[in-house]
Formats: sequence, structure tokens, C-alpha cells
Amino acid sequence: MSALLKVENLTMRFGGLVALNDVSLSIDKGAVLAVIGPNGAGKSTLFNVVTGVYRPTSGRVTFDGAEITDRPSYEVVDRGIARTFQSSRLFSDLSVLDNVIIGMHTRTRTGVLTALFRPGASRREMAACVEKAETLLKLGSGDLFEQRYRPAGTLAQADRRRLEIARALASQPKLLLLDEPSVGMDDMETDALVADITRLRVQNPALSVILIEHDMRVVEAFPQHVTCIDYGSKIAEGDFAAVRAEPRVQEAYLGKAVAHA
Amino acid sequence: MQGRASPDVPGIAAATVFAIASQIIGAAFLYLILRVDGGWQVVGLLALLGLGFYLLERLPWIADYALASFARVPLVAMITAAVIVLAFPFFVGSNTYILHLLIVAELYAVLALALNFQLGSANIPNFATGASYGIGAYVSALLAINFGVSFWLTLPVAALAATLFGFIIGIPSMRTRDTYLALVTIAFGVVVQQLLNNFSWTGGPNGLVGIPAPSLFGHSFADPLVIFGWKLPSQANFYYLSAALVVVAIVTAHRLHGSRIGLAWNALRADEIAAKAQGINVAWFKVLAFAVDAFLAAFAGTIYAFYVSYISPDNFTFLVSVTIMTMVIVGGMDNIFGVIVGAFLLTILPEKLRAFADYRLLFFGVVIIGFLMIRPQGLFPQRMRRYGGEP
Repeated sequence: MSALLKVENLTMRFGGLVALNDVSLSIDKGAVLAVIGPNGAGKSTLFNVVTGVYRPTSGRVTFDGAEITDRPSYEVVDRGIARTFQSSRLFSDLSVLDNVIIGMHTRTRTGVLTALFRPGASRREMAACVEKAETLLKLGSGDLFEQRYRPAGTLAQADRRRLEIARALASQPKLLLLDEPSVGMDDMETDALVADITRLRVQNPALSVILIEHDMRVVEAFPQHVTCIDYGSKIAEGDFAAVRAEPRVQEAYLGKAVAHA
Repeated sequence: MQGRASPDVPGIAAATVFAIASQIIGAAFLYLILRVDGGWQVVGLLALLGLGFYLLERLPWIADYALASFARVPLVAMITAAVIVLAFPFFVGSNTYILHLLIVAELYAVLALALNFQLGSANIPNFATGASYGIGAYVSALLAINFGVSFWLTLPVAALAATLFGFIIGIPSMRTRDTYLALVTIAFGVVVQQLLNNFSWTGGPNGLVGIPAPSLFGHSFADPLVIFGWKLPSQANFYYLSAALVVVAIVTAHRLHGSRIGLAWNALRADEIAAKAQGINVAWFKVLAFAVDAFLAAFAGTIYAFYVSYISPDNFTFLVSVTIMTMVIVGGMDNIFGVIVGAFLLTILPEKLRAFADYRLLFFGVVIIGFLMIRPQGLFPQRMRRYGGEP
């Protein structure tokens, strides 16, 4: 089976700084890949290159059979990659519901002329979006649905992370990129997050997930494919046990994290 | 959540009474402030207005109640508004000065609504709305004077020309952001005004004179308007025409705001990077905001040109753009009603403060700052979308 996303020899330089150095990885349909590594290792840069925020210095990204290197973000999202951000970037002055509806941007079609001259069509589209968004909000852990008219900026930290995931799912992605979804969550909330991701995969077996994580409890829950990045280079890959056993990984990262966990 | 009847949800009767009474009070207030002349009377009315805004700020349920009432009986609210707008000139009577003020306020309301797509919805600080306004006015005036094109035909042509201009400034502006974007638009606005000032075919600094009055079904807009034996001054023609344009602007704003496009603009305003990650083509939506702004501004420009029948570059200076921007900020970003109130207030206020002679502008500034201190988010701040849910 060919990979859903394939990253080949990706290098990203910012002036003299090499954020990613010849990184290759791939993920199959329906798989979960955990990307670990110390702060500043280049994990988020990887997401930014894949989603078209940065143009890579060299290398290729292919998704679902098409090359998406250098393609603009809106095209990448349209093709089926959705992401969350490490420091949650919600539309804070808009309601929870509106945040999710904006996530459906690539799945809706109303243009200026339709909005102006066929208001009925535009209204029906919005009504359908509201219904879908409410379903998405009801699905996850937490009580986002009850808070749907609140400004997103007033949500508690764990709810913000959940809302980001709901917003990403609203675009009906084939590949979901989660950038440290457990940041700011306590143990119970983290367990609920793992349960959420597991449930998503059961409901949609074709959904692939790439997870950037610091919390080893989350990584342990999805142990089949783990990649470790340090100083922009991939230093290990394999299942969680194998990566954890790797001396370079322990040296770079796990030694400290395991002691705390 | 439908079943939860909160005590604030008004019944039909209460909502009807509120929708009618509040609009009549608003209209009466507008009438009073237009009519009074003495400085102290104006100050008194402004103090009353300030008190009203203070109560709105202190007691947020008033605004909630008002919105719930209007949502409950939308048809009653709209009919009341229409009757008030249609009847207003009859109360004003032959006072052409008041009618003139109202027309200018209406045109500014359209301009402010146009800018609101950018500044309010998408947070694009565009200082070139005055230029789009001027392009609309000049294109239609030139067509009418040189080729005898009818007013009704120049309207769409001028709007399309200005939209093209909107695209032209929109595209290079995409490379810049925030302060730099503001500078680019300032430059565009100044360049347009200088070009109008220096081309010979635009009449240079003398402008264009003798723009013919439009006519409709054989009735020239230069003639007094006679309705059921009531004779209204010729300005009433333009009052109703501008009012119709305000309605068009409101409908446009309302429909775009409620659609996917308004949401995409709001997303841009809140967080551009996150907006990109949702698949929003950021550059396209910014250019679109420029185009819609220019389109509506050109309509206002056309009506203005035919109304005063004489235009010059001085009518479309940078200062006009700043005024429009102030109207949006004072009235309330991304709130249609607020923007209109801002436009009326900022058009009428400087005229009414003439009683203060040399201190007029000082007092004007003090009043605006005072209102903003009472209502820091604008007189009527933006509201969350409700999608027919609980208010």
C-alpha cells in the first residue's frame, strides 16, 4: 500500500539556522505516527512545511498521490490535511460554533454573488454547517456543545485544545496533524484526549494522524510508529519500544522526560 | 435549548411596542438634534445621548432585550423603519439645510458600511475609501457630461470602474500588513487625488461643473417632489435615492456577514495564520474586501456627484477617508447599525457645533473621546452570530 503522506529529504533553512535537515518520513492510510523530540528540534517546522506555511529549501512532500511541495495552504487543506497549533490559535473573538464553521471553509462554496443574489442558498449552506458543527462539538470529550455561543477566547485551556481538534476535523481531513494536543491538560483530560483520538480512528478508520507530543503517556497509547527528531535531523524511528531503547534518543530527550513522567 | 424561557425574552405584544416605540424615539431624537440651533440645546441633547450610552454600557440586558424584541417581530420593526424613513422629509418640510445634512449623512453611512467590510470584518486599515468614492463620482460625472450617459447607467459603470481600482490597490497591498498596508492605501488615496488635480480631462483643481440632474419616469431630480399634494424641496429626491442606497448597502452587508464570506473575513481579523490553516485563501479574501468596499463607495460617489452637480478633487481628500474610518470605529466595528449611527453622528455633530464658532473642532473631538470613554468598543459593538439559537 502506498503511503498517504510521504516526506522526502526535507530541508528547511532560515538563514544560517537549519531547522530541518534531510528529514524523510511517511504515514499510511489509517495509521498514527508520533513525532517526538526536544523543544526546538524542528517538529512544528515539519508541520509548517507540510501545510504550506513555509516553502522548504529542498525536498519533496507528496500527499494522496499528488505533490504538494510549495503548494499554498488553502490547496493543502482542500486536499485533506488539517492541523492544530502548539499554542492554540483560535479565533478568540468569535463563538465556539463559528470557529468550527470556519473550519468547513474548504467544504463550502458560497461566493459573493451567491451570498448577495441567492440568499436562500447561502442560508441553507450555513444552516447545514451549524448542524454539522454542533454534531462535532457533541462528539468530543468535555462540554463544548453547551459552550457553543461563548467567545472561543474565554474557554479553559483543555477546551481550547478540544476546540482546535474539532475545528480541524470540520474540514473532513484525510490526515490530521496534531501539534502537542495535550499541552495544558491534566492527567484526566489527557486520558480523555487519548480516548477521543482512539474513538475518531474507530469512527473513521481511514483517518491518519500525525501527533507531535511531549507527553509519553499519549505516545504510549499509539506505539506502532514513532519518529524522533533532534536538531532538525531524524535520529530514530520504529515502534515506541525500539525508539525508546535507542541510546541517542535517551540522550537527546527521553532521559529527562521519563524521569519526570 | 428552545424550551428554556428566560424572563428576558419579550412576548409578541411587548416586542411590538418596543420595536415601534424605540424607533420613533430614535427618529424624534434625530429630528430634535437636526432642528435645534443654540449651543446649550445641542449640549443638552448630547448629554442625553451620552446618558443613553452610559446606561447601555452599564445595563447590557437593554441591548439584549432590544435585539430579542427586533428578532421577535422583524416585519413590524422593518415596516416601522420604512415608514419613519419615508415620512421624515415631511416633518423636515422646506428646510433644505436639514435635508442636505441628511443626504450627506446617508452617503457617509454607505461609505462607512463599505469600509466596514475591510476595517470591521477583516481588520484591513484601508485609507483609500475616499479615493474609491472620488473615482465613482468622477467616472459617472465624466460619462454624463461628455457622452450624455444617463445617471442610472453611470451607476453600475462607475461601480465597476471603482471595483477595478479596488483590485488594483488590493493586489499589491497583499504583500504588506497592518501599518504598512495602511501606508500603501494612504499613498494610493493621495495619488488618486493628485491625479484628479493634475489631469486636464478631469478639469484639474476646478473640477467638473454642470453635472445634469438625473431623472426618473420623466421627473427631474432638480424639480420639487410632489407627493399627494405635499410639496417637498428638490433635495427630497436625493434623500430618497440615498436612502435606497443605504438599504442596498445594509442588505449587502447583512448577507455577506451572515455567509461563509463574512466568517472568512472575521477569521482573517482574528488570526491570519490560523485562517490560512483552515484553507482560507487569505490574499483572495483581502482583495475581495477591497473590491466590495470600492463597489459600494462608487455608488455613493455617483449619487454625490449628481446631487451637488459640481465635484472637485477637494471633495475626495485623505481627510474624507479618515472621517469614514472614524465613523466605523466610533460606531462599532462589524456592527451594521453601529456603523450607520457613527456616520450620522459624525456628519451631523460638526454642523451642530457651529454655535461654538472657533472652538467647534475642539468640542467635536471632546465629544467623540467622551463617547468612546463611555463605550470603549464603539457605540454598538459587534455581536456574536446566533444562528437562530437562544438570544
